[in-house]
Amino acid sequence: MTLFQAEKVEKVFPGVRALDRVDLALEAGSVHALLGENGAGKSTLIKVITGLYRPDGGRLLLDGREVSFGSPHESASAGIGVVHQERNLIPGFTVGENILLQKLPTSRGLVDRAAIRSEASRWLAELELDIDPDQPVTELSVAQAQLVEIAKALSIESRVLLLDEPTASITPNESALLFRVVDKLKNDGRAVLFVSHKLEEVFQICDTVTVLRDGASVLSGGALSDLTRDQVVDLMVGRTHEALSLPPRAVDRDVAPILELAGVSTATGHVDVDLAVRPGEIVGLYGLVGAGRSELAKALLGLDRITAGEVRVRGSAVRIRNVRDALRNYKIGYVTENRKEEGVFLEQSVSRNIAVTIWDRLRKALGYVPAKEETSTVATYVEQLGIRIASPAQHAGTLSGGNQQKVSLAKWLAAQTEILIIDEPTVGIDVRTKDAFHTLIWDLAANGLAILLITSDLPEMITLADRVVVMRDHAVQGELPNDHDYDRMSQQVIRLIHAEGTTAA
Amino acid sequence: MSVSSTATEALQEDAPVAALRRTPWWANQRIGLLILVVLLSALFGVLRPAFFNQQLVVFPLLRDIAMFTVVGLAQLSVLSIGHMNLAVGRMAAFSMMITGISYDLWHFTLYSGLLVGLIAGTAIGALAGWVIARTGVNSFVVTLALDFLLLGLIPLVYTALTDNAAFVTKPPGMRELRNYSLADICVGNVCGSPAVPQLAIFAVVAMAVVGWIFTRTRLGRELLMTGSSVRAAELSGIPTARRVIVAHAMSGCLAALAGFMLAISTGSIKATIGAEFMLPSFLGPILGGTLLAGGFVSIWGTLLGTALTTVIRKGLDLLGVGLESLNIYLGLILLVALSTDRIRTVLSERQGVRRR
Repeated sequence: MTLFQAEKVEKVFPGVRALDRVDLALEAGSVHALLGENGAGKSTLIKVITGLYRPDGGRLLLDGREVSFGSPHESASAGIGVVHQERNLIPGFTVGENILLQKLPTSRGLVDRAAIRSEASRWLAELELDIDPDQPVTELSVAQAQLVEIAKALSIESRVLLLDEPTASITPNESALLFRVVDKLKNDGRAVLFVSHKLEEVFQICDTVTVLRDGASVLSGGALSDLTRDQVVDLMVGRTHEALSLPPRAVDRDVAPILELAGVSTATGHVDVDLAVRPGEIVGLYGLVGAGRSELAKALLGLDRITAGEVRVRGSAVRIRNVRDALRNYKIGYVTENRKEEGVFLEQSVSRNIAVTIWDRLRKALGYVPAKEETSTVATYVEQLGIRIASPAQHAGTLSGGNQQKVSLAKWLAAQTEILIIDEPTVGIDVRTKDAFHTLIWDLAANGLAILLITSDLPEMITLADRVVVMRDHAVQGELPNDHDYDRMSQQVIRLIHAEGTTAA
Repeated sequence: MSVSSTATEALQEDAPVAALRRTPWWANQRIGLLILVVLLSALFGVLRPAFFNQQLVVFPLLRDIAMFTVVGLAQLSVLSIGHMNLAVGRMAAFSMMITGISYDLWHFTLYSGLLVGLIAGTAIGALAGWVIARTGVNSFVVTLALDFLLLGLIPLVYTALTDNAAFVTKPPGMRELRNYSLADICVGNVCGSPAVPQLAIFAVVAMAVVGWIFTRTRLGRELLMTGSSVRAAELSGIPTARRVIVAHAMSGCLAALAGFMLAISTGSIKATIGAEFMLPSFLGPILGGTLLAGGFVSIWGTLLGTALTTVIRKGLDLLGVGLESLNIYLGLILLVALSTDRIRTVLSERQGVRRR
C-alpha cells in the first residue's frame, strides 16, 4: 500500500531548477532508497516533503489524499517523521526530554517528569534500545544519539519516516544497530525513506530505489533486486549537460611542486596525506561530503593543527599559522566553500569585499589607504572576472550567488596569490555561470597559478582537473590522471570512492 | 538534454542588473535626526525663551553634547566590531583617577595629566580587549566584570589618597578651560561664538580622528569587516584578535577623554566620574544608525543622536519636569524616535521594491 507519494514535484530557486518533476512513492512495510550525487536534489526533496520549502509544482499525497504542509510542524502532525543529517538534539536536556520535545507532557502547567520517563521509555522499547531516558544526551555516542533522534521522530506517531544520511558519521559497527532498527520499523508496517551515499548499505537494507540526477528522477521506484551496483552508479552519474570543452593545457611535469604535503596527519582526523601541486596545474580533490577535504585545506592554512608530516611551499618546509600568514608570506589564497558565512561580507560594499586583502599592501603612513589605488585595483578585477554590479558601493549581499562567488575569488587575485585553494566554487550556481567559472579557473592555471580544486561536482572535476585525488574518510583513496573522458573518468572515480573493504573501521 | 535547457531558461544571471536604489532623503536617518533636533529646539524655545540663553543654557548644553558625543564614540569603537563596552564609564573614572594622581602627587600640568589619563584609558581598554580575544568570552561579560572590578577598586584608591573622595589639586588652566568659549579665541578681530565652549574642540578633534580612522585607514576598515563577519575576516587574512584589542583600546582612550571633559566641566576629579555614561554611550551611536551587530558606524549620527537626547533632557528640565518624570518622557521620546526611524526604513524599502 502506498502511504506517501510525491508527484511531479518541482522547486525552482533563482537561477536553478532544484527539483524537476520528481516522482517518489513510499510503500508501507518497505525501505526506499533515495540516491544521487551531491547537489542532485535529495535534501531539497526532503525539505519539500517536510514543509520547509513550498513546492513550485506537483503535489504530495498522504494516504491518497492531497496534502500541503506550511511548516515542519504541520508535516510532523500529519505523521511524517524526519531525522535530519545534522544533529538536532538539545545538549542540556535528557534523552526523554529530547524524544518528547514536540509535546512535553505536563501536569498543571509544569513538566511532568514521571510521564516523560514512562512515555520515552515506551518509544525506546519500541526500538529495543537500551538507553536510560534520564541520561543527558551529551553522554550518548554518535550512533546512540542518531537512534534517539529516530525515537524522537517516531514519538509523533509517525508512519512515514525520512532518514537523511543517518550513517554519515557513525562507524560500520554502529550502523548494524541502526539497520536492525530500520528493519523493525519496516516490519511494523512503516514506510521508510533512506538517503545514503554508501551503496553497500543501500543494497543491504533497502527494497526499492529512486535516483535523482540534476533535480530530476532518472529512476523512480525501481526494485533494487533487479539492479546491479554498476547500473546504479551509471544512473547517478549519467551525463549532465554538454560538458564545456576547454583546450588542453600543458603542465610541465618537470617543474618542482610549489605546494607539497608529505605524510600529513591532522587533529581533525586526516591520516598520512600526500599531495603535490605544480605551478600551472589544477589538482582536483574529490570525495563525498564529509570525506575531510575542506578540513584538510583548513589544516593547511593553520586553522586546525597538523599533528604529523610536513607541508612544503616552494621546496621548503613551512608551518603556516593562519590565513594572514599564508597570504603574506606564502602567497596562498583560500576560496571557501561557505560563501555566505566565510567568503563575502554581505553587508559591506563590493569594493571593500575585494580590497580587503590589499589594504595591508596599499597602506601608507598611519595606515592611510589611498582611495585611488584601491578603486583602480577593484575596477580591474571587477572587469577581469566580469562581476555584474551597478556600482562598487553596492552591498555584496545584493548580488546573485555567482557574482558573490566571483567577489570571493577576486580578493585573492587582487592579492596576487600564486597558490589558490578553491573549495566547491560552483555550489548553488546555475549552469551557464558555472561554465564561465570553469573557464576562469582554467585561465588562472594557464597563467601559472597552482590550483587545488576541492569539489563534489564530478563533471566540474573532469572538466578542470589535470589530476584527480580521491579522498574518503580523511585519507587519500587514490590518484588518477585525468584523461577528460567523462564516462571513463566518472566510472573510475565513483568506483574508487565506493570501493569496498577500505573503510576505516 | 531537457534538464539543462530548462535550467538555462531559469537563468537570471544575464538579466539586467537592477539599478542601485538610492535611499530617498526623508529616509536618511541622519537628516531625520537633524530635523528632529531642530524642531525640538524650536519647540522648547517657544515654550521657554530661556532655552536660547547663550550663557545659561546653550553653553552648558553644547558642553554636554560634546562630552556625550565622545562617550558615544567610545562605545562606537567597540560597536564597530559588534562588541560592547559596559565599563565605558568606569574606564573614564579609572583614567581620571590616574590623571588626578598625576596632578596631586606628581604636579603634572593640565595637558600632561590628560595624556597620562588617555594612556591609562587605552591600557585598561586594551586589557579588556586582550581578555576577550584570548578567552573568547563575550565582550558583554568581560566588560561587565571589569566594571565591577573597577567599581570596587577606584573608591579604595580615592580613600587611600584623598580626604573627601576627590583630588583637590587644580592645575593651572583648568578653570579657564571650563569657562572659556570660542569668543576667547580670536584671530585678529574675528572671534568665535560665546555660546560654544572650548571643550567642544575636544569632541571635534575626537570626531575627526575617529572618522578618519574608520573611513580612510586600513585599521578602521578592518574593524568594520571584523564586525560584519569575524569568520570571513579571519579567512581574508585580517588579524581579528589584534583588531578586537585595538577596538577596545580605542574605546578606553575615548572614555578617558570623555572623563577628562566631565572632570573639567564639573571642576573636580572624583570617584563617581562616568557613573552616568553607560546609557548615553549606547543611545548616541544607535540613534545615529551605528549597528549594534557591528560592521557599520556613523560618526555624524553619533553627534546627532547625542544632540537629540541631550536637547530633550535639557528642554524638559527647563520646562520644570521633575527628575523621575523626566526619565519617563525621555524614554517615550526615544521610543518614538526609534520607531519612526524604523517606519521610515520600511517605507523606503517598500518603495525601492516597487520601483524595481
